[in-house]
Amino acid sequence: MLEYLFLPLSLIFVLSFFDVQKSKKYLPIISSLVLVPTFMLLFTPDRHYWHDRLMIDDLNKFVLLVCAIVGIAVTLALESLRHHVKISPRHYRRFYRFFALFWIGMILSVTANSMGIFWVGLELATLSTVYMIKTNTTPFAHKEAWNYMIVGTIAISLILFGIILIYASAKPSLGEEAMLFTALKSHISRIHSAYLFEIGFAFVAVGSFIKMGFFPMNLWLANIERAAYYPVAALFSGLLESAIVTGLFRFSSLAKELNQSHLIGFTYIYALLTLFVVAFLIYRVKDFMRLFSLSGIEHMVLMLIFWVSGGYFAALLHFAAHAFLKPALFISTGVLESRGKYHIAGALKGYKGFKGRLFQILVALFMLAIISLPPSPMFFSELFGFSAMIDLAKGSHHLLLMLFGILTILILLSIIFYKFVDVYQTMRYEGEERSKRVYASEVGALVLLALATLALLGSFDFIEKIGG
Amino acid sequence: MTNLFIGLFLSTLITALLTTRLYRLFLWYGLNSIFLGLAALEQYKLLDDKALLISALLTLLLKGLLLPYLFKLFALKFHTERNIPPKIRLQYAILLIPAILVFTFYLINPILHLPGKNYISLSIASLFLSLVLIIEHKAIFAKVIGFLMMENALFLLGMTATEGMPMLIELGIFFDLLMAVVVINLLFEVEHA
Repeated sequence: MLEYLFLPLSLIFVLSFFDVQKSKKYLPIISSLVLVPTFMLLFTPDRHYWHDRLMIDDLNKFVLLVCAIVGIAVTLALESLRHHVKISPRHYRRFYRFFALFWIGMILSVTANSMGIFWVGLELATLSTVYMIKTNTTPFAHKEAWNYMIVGTIAISLILFGIILIYASAKPSLGEEAMLFTALKSHISRIHSAYLFEIGFAFVAVGSFIKMGFFPMNLWLANIERAAYYPVAALFSGLLESAIVTGLFRFSSLAKELNQSHLIGFTYIYALLTLFVVAFLIYRVKDFMRLFSLSGIEHMVLMLIFWVSGGYFAALLHFAAHAFLKPALFISTGVLESRGKYHIAGALKGYKGFKGRLFQILVALFMLAIISLPPSPMFFSELFGFSAMIDLAKGSHHLLLMLFGILTILILLSIIFYKFVDVYQTMRYEGEERSKRVYASEVGALVLLALATLALLGSFDFIEKIGG
Repeated sequence: MTNLFIGLFLSTLITALLTTRLYRLFLWYGLNSIFLGLAALEQYKLLDDKALLISALLTLLLKGLLLPYLFKLFALKFHTERNIPPKIRLQYAILLIPAILVFTFYLINPILHLPGKNYISLSIASLFLSLVLIIEHKAIFAKVIGFLMMENALFLLGMTATEGMPMLIELGIFFDLLMAVVVINLLFEVEHA
């Protein structure tokens, strides 16, 4: 069944070599076909493929479903891309081609049981992204494509370096099976050198943190998302970051079994530093793209600390909610920035007709949902996540220090909350009203993502089962 | 012999850090890859692992000969500036390089009982030195060479610390490396279009 996931994407890849103007109406339908094997996998028992190198378990079934929905929404939104930005048919074709490759790489890394395949998938997704950034032909986009190429490959190389060290630490006792997540998990106590494993994990974590824009690389991702067309940013936040976070979840679960206190100390310090910088960067931000991009880093930090604190349900709920809400906001930027990128005032005014009104309501709801106002799934995930953090603090030998850390995180989050409310009010109540056009495809994409976010509220039992 | 080749591998990397000429940098990268390939051949003789032989030959041919040649062709084609002064001054670089080496040996202190411990520390040092190479240059070609030297550090680690990675993974890495070179070429094409 797993192999069927690649079929629609291969078809998109092939179609991208032909006249995409004729076939582009069918592309969202073709990408929707991914849902068929994804749903079928959801109801099949856990299985291993290709000599245990790939696997289907509860975690990646869930991640695949989330990514499939985001992928379909982005394909829908791509329909109206040419109405918002200047793009030639050649670049349009190229975008679809590398989008398909990117998605294939992402599926490989999410379903990987072998750490090596996880890395190969991530590298494939990274390299194909360079081209998606390059579909924008401005000098700024070109410079950022180079930046992405260099920084992205450094991050990926650090991850591979860490994987090799982890493999080296377990190979004397597990042999070639030391490459498999499942083998490492079931024989974690037999690891030959725990210290080497921890150095390896630190490299993997730092590589992943660079990819996600953590301290000290807070601005590189925001600049790239600013330079690229908005669907690239939607794909980053919905698909690429999902693949990295899934990998990081798996690696941190292994590191936790070996030495929980080291993992907690390392992650909390890194998370606090990142959140400190990001909160103030968000406070000074002047355009939608950077605002959403930096807020993405904030949410990655939260997911990670919830996960390492034992709040698996909270981390997964937060992950899925973020994967739906953030691409929705990035897709909206195409319309919101129709008067120029620095016009936040009045950005939510001037929408007429059913499509316009619906767009306005959806964007308002997404903006409020991303700052965790109830009944957003993020409200519940943060509630459960912070409970898990407090439970962890109560059981630790550093109660006061951890409570101080949690309090600092809450204060930093309140700065971000304030900025989002301020931006929302400026969008809604300030500025002149000017007529703006919204297209059916992007409203369709937003409706799909809104329904998926709502469905999360009814899926707590399912998500809890994965976390358990 | 493995020690000698790895020593030469490190010395070419350090020399590359101090060079100010582009073609010389390609030469040091080629030599760096050749010494790595020779070290891999030595390891093959020791372990009798066929996968290591294939990787060693690929390293010698692809990274040692083909890539430096391709990069020189690209540089000629795009009339790239050949003078590439590093941003870190020489006096600071000669303090930084030994500091990195000492730090990585300190880092592996708790695993001194493991076989191949020196190689692990040298690989980590090579990784950090390659990062310095990427940071200290503004020129894209020098950054790309830094990235490729980082790949070499990865291969050194894979070869010595794990006595050879699974073949599939090694081939995957080579494939990605080639793809990266294709992407680099195309980015240059676009830049000069």
